[in-house]
Amino acid sequence: MKTYELQDIPQPNLLEEMFPYSLPPLIQFEGKIKEEIDGKIVEFDPNEVKTRDIHITDTTFRDGQQARPPYTKEQMVKLFEMLSRLGGPNGVIRQSEFFLYTKNDRETIDACRALNVKFPEITGWIRANKGDFRLVKEMGLKETGMLTSSSDYHIFHKQNQTRKQAMDQYVEVVEAAFEAGVRPRCHLEDVTRADLPGFVFPFVQKLERLSEQVPEHMKVKIRLCDTMGFGLSYPNAKEPRSIPKMIWRLRNECGIPSERLEWHGHNDFHKVHINGASAWIYGLNALNGTLFGFGERCGNPPLEGAIIEYVALKGSLNGVSLPVITELAEYYQKVIGTQLAPNYPFVGKDFNTTRAGIHAGGLRRFEQIYNIFDTTALLNRPPHVAITDKSGTDGIALWVNDFLGLKGDDRLTVMKVAKIQRWVMDQYEKGGRMSSITDQELEEQVKINLPEYYSKYRKN
Amino acid sequence: MTRDEVSQRVKKVTARELNLNAANIKDSDQFSVELGADSLKSIELVAAFEEEFNVSVNEEEALQVQSIGAAIDFFAKLLNK
Repeated sequence: MKTYELQDIPQPNLLEEMFPYSLPPLIQFEGKIKEEIDGKIVEFDPNEVKTRDIHITDTTFRDGQQARPPYTKEQMVKLFEMLSRLGGPNGVIRQSEFFLYTKNDRETIDACRALNVKFPEITGWIRANKGDFRLVKEMGLKETGMLTSSSDYHIFHKQNQTRKQAMDQYVEVVEAAFEAGVRPRCHLEDVTRADLPGFVFPFVQKLERLSEQVPEHMKVKIRLCDTMGFGLSYPNAKEPRSIPKMIWRLRNECGIPSERLEWHGHNDFHKVHINGASAWIYGLNALNGTLFGFGERCGNPPLEGAIIEYVALKGSLNGVSLPVITELAEYYQKVIGTQLAPNYPFVGKDFNTTRAGIHAGGLRRFEQIYNIFDTTALLNRPPHVAITDKSGTDGIALWVNDFLGLKGDDRLTVMKVAKIQRWVMDQYEKGGRMSSITDQELEEQVKINLPEYYSKYRKN
Repeated sequence: MTRDEVSQRVKKVTARELNLNAANIKDSDQFSVELGADSLKSIELVAAFEEEFNVSVNEEEALQVQSIGAAIDFFAKLLNK
């Protein structure tokens, strides 16, 4: 057994190389990850993610829109413009995918193009049908996704085909794409429930042989669609659910490089974000997501979560503008009318709000104790306290000082706000109140109990 | 201000805030044990002392004061600086 001795140091060790506060906590790795495949140990170097061109692709307007009322054209153009600013000039949000089937879809693409932004690039989505390909050509897109279902659930029971009939149909559409000069992106639907060696890998190897005939920028991309959220990031999980094994075989046995591999997840088992991030780490470059995770059933990888993960993995912003996440959340809630859960990470009303008095005490003394990173600078969201009977006088002091804009030695002590705290406690103990105290009520109490401070410092 | 004057006023304020008889309060009484002050009442007591003596006290230092005697010493020292 190893013995650890207490190191009683005079100054705290805040581990700032991992928790810089000016950025989200950094994700750091030691050594290589080992996975057993066909009885042999293969290695993944997680630090490779720092130099690989990992990026995000957006499907807010495709999968994201399948699970909610349609966006208006104006809303999509505004969201597209904000996606461009969020991802920044280096294209961390590299592409955005659009339906092509309705007049409104096509007019929206034209309006987004008129913004003349470099990123995200606009790509399309069609079913694997040669007739649908006309739409891609008409819109002049350079790349389109196409539905190429890969499990027998889909091939046999949805498409009423044999595997060969399905593969022949997919290949025919891919060849048509090449002929038209459009890069095909094959969406391997339900791949985590598919027969990988019996259908998926032969199909992918066939696509690679076809890709040998075209220049690099036209070679087929592969999107791994975890349609039902069955994918697992755990080491040594069995295939086809294993994300590490799937990516390893595609790269090493099928010859698909990282830059042509993409992960598209679903959240049916609460694994959507970690599966996407794991796919990055295990060797593919593109993570497909939607704003706030809206998507079929339980949704897709939340794009804003992927952005935070990107910064944490890379250790720098690389042009990303994180405050746009807050703008997007406000736009969804105020303009589109879609509410986000109060406890939703990074954007929910309460994501950095504390209610417990003991937490408020910590927050009041040293913000970093109970704030995940500098949310004021990075998200334009200062940490807050919500007042209930559990908030304590520390919570009241934090709220009042924040409300009055008092900092440092100007901050009021708990003694100065004791009367307000007594009023709050009376609401619950004598009045039987069950709800939180509102900001308006607290402001009124500041007016009554701290009139000289209210008139001097009150916020307009 | 003499220590006796401070003592009288500390006990008067304590009695008023905690609904006690000032004559029964001893210097050795602890606010939280013998006098029954919970954490909010302790803060309210310090606030009442601030009003009584027309001073502002350091929060951390003031909340470390545990007994009537210690409170008398604390304010006597503060007022006679």
